[in-house]
Amino acid sequence: MALNMNAEVILDFAFALVAFISGIITLIKPNTRKIHSLHFIRIAIFIGGISMLLDGISLLILNIPLSIIEGFLNFPIALSLIIGVNYVLKENYNSFGFIVTFGLGILLLYVGFQPGAAEVQFQEGYFRIPWIGLFSLLTTILYMIIMGYIFYWGIKTVRNAPFLIKKEAILFFIGITLYSLTSIVFYILYEFTSVFILVSTSIAIIGLFIFTLAITIEPKLLYILPFTIYRIVVKDNQGYPLFDYDWSKSQVSESMFTGFINAVQLMSEELIKMGGLLDVNVKDGILILHESEYITVGLAASKASKLLRDSVTKFTFDFESKFQKQLKERCRDMKEYESAHELIEKHFSNFPSRLIPSKTHPLLLTERLLELPYTVEKDLKKIVPERNDFEFIKAEIFRSPESSTAGFFSLYHEIKEELDKLKTQNNEIEMK
Amino acid sequence: MPYDIIQASEVMEHPSVQSVLEIAKELIYQHKTLNTELLYNTAKKKLGIPRRGLLSIIQTLLNRKILVEGSKYTKDTVMNNRFRRILYEFIKKNLGTHFSLIKSELDINSKEKNISPGRLIWHLEMLLKFDFIKKVKIKNYTLFLPSEVSADEGIIHFILRDEINYKIINKLLDSNLIKVADIYKEIEEKRELVYYRVNNLIEIEILLQKNVDNKCVMINPKMNKILKNALRKS
Repeated sequence: MALNMNAEVILDFAFALVAFISGIITLIKPNTRKIHSLHFIRIAIFIGGISMLLDGISLLILNIPLSIIEGFLNFPIALSLIIGVNYVLKENYNSFGFIVTFGLGILLLYVGFQPGAAEVQFQEGYFRIPWIGLFSLLTTILYMIIMGYIFYWGIKTVRNAPFLIKKEAILFFIGITLYSLTSIVFYILYEFTSVFILVSTSIAIIGLFIFTLAITIEPKLLYILPFTIYRIVVKDNQGYPLFDYDWSKSQVSESMFTGFINAVQLMSEELIKMGGLLDVNVKDGILILHESEYITVGLAASKASKLLRDSVTKFTFDFESKFQKQLKERCRDMKEYESAHELIEKHFSNFPSRLIPSKTHPLLLTERLLELPYTVEKDLKKIVPERNDFEFIKAEIFRSPESSTAGFFSLYHEIKEELDKLKTQNNEIEMK
Repeated sequence: MPYDIIQASEVMEHPSVQSVLEIAKELIYQHKTLNTELLYNTAKKKLGIPRRGLLSIIQTLLNRKILVEGSKYTKDTVMNNRFRRILYEFIKKNLGTHFSLIKSELDINSKEKNISPGRLIWHLEMLLKFDFIKKVKIKNYTLFLPSEVSADEGIIHFILRDEINYKIINKLLDSNLIKVADIYKEIEEKRELVYYRVNNLIEIEILLQKNVDNKCVMINPKMNKILKNALRKS
């Protein structure tokens, strides 16, 4: 049997290859794998690869049933993708888009089994198997839905990506845009002239390749959630802080956060009996509090999430296991718990840090690492012997204009001289 | 050892992290405004660490609170300090105040009891530096005034804090010209105390001498309006 080898077949196989590579990368790269959204998006990518592989094979051997099966695959691709994106946005699979797609998918299956859904035709110098009539219309609508959802996911990701991975997020978005918007324009043109299918597939391959490159560099792009986590705090059951970690500047006030942790500790026994987990809704976000035998863990976030609750529970469990010895000995030195950063990496690696809002955002170095010039330090210690005052002024010096230190010393001497004179003057008056 | 694969607990000891820290210190000592872009570019140039590794180091320094959000003070941010705001409000409310008075009043009335002289002077210097206040020298005193208040007005408020000065000026505002020798009788204060103050008031040109032989004094007409305003406020 002679094979119907042509450019479209080659492009289909190339697309399938890139899609499989992309799917494998989404499987091996992320540190946190048990994420619903990622799971469904990965399924969509793999089925997408299979779909293009079937398209290539059906064209190569001019097999109509295979071509129709390829058309059917638009249904699971669209469903998986919608579920994935819905999970990203609201941690729930259901949406209006899901129901519509489900209905269209059932109709597609029905129409696909009717005679004449696809046929072999000679187009643009080679044999092709275009879908016909209602089957063609339904596959096109599902294809549009798929591309629409992909583009929407791309927009959401690039908008929510923190500054540190913005560059990769833009690369990701370029890939997504090429893959969805640009290729869809040529797909529409293909409805008029079949040669545009080659352009559309080529652009989709380039887009998918860029997408794969971006997620290889930064796998966190796959699960950038539209909410922010601010901070996690671990306290022992006496209320002493053991560990804290910030992802971004918190909207939930420190006093409120500490207050709730203290309140939870007061009702610890009852809470542990209930599973230890408590959500507290506050005006600017939510506090997830987890009470266990030795510690209370509090996490502040902008929105409640099952994923977050699970992560807090697992973090609490691992924290207690890792520091069992210190916790039993009632060790309260925060340095002893420094290595809990590893647990943050383990359980919260899918939440990118947003501590730096922009590259030009001003920063300071903690004053304990800064040293004053020797003479300044010596003179300052003479004037301000008390340690707290010294540290306060030292920290302020690094935040003040360059001449402030000289101005301070000069004002100090001026006032000292004034006080000495007044003292002498008062003494003289008393003597008289 | 590549930065990505070292244990979280060992991160701070990693040579690359230490090098980035040194660069951050250097930039701060050079009085440059530190930000991610400057630190990243400088460290990239000097250390040649790959982008992601360098960004991870900066991220770690932020997470460990070695690098903290904040900037050099500006006129807007310098007042974020609560005590500095209280101090400024005090100077605004108590025109013509001086160091000893500020210290004793704030020791009594503010939540920060017994603030050290060094710390108080630092706050005053910051208010001076950012032009919230100005200082005026009068005799042995350095007065602190809000920038918008004129030196004359500040001095008058300072003068009027003294009860005898207050009585003298009030008397002179009532009767335009008066003999120095009569003042102490009129205000019922000790002669030498009144003479001492009148001489001071002449010296700082709040009072003018008329009929030198009769030793009469009057309010300097230039000061009349300010004095009346100050008396109304006091």
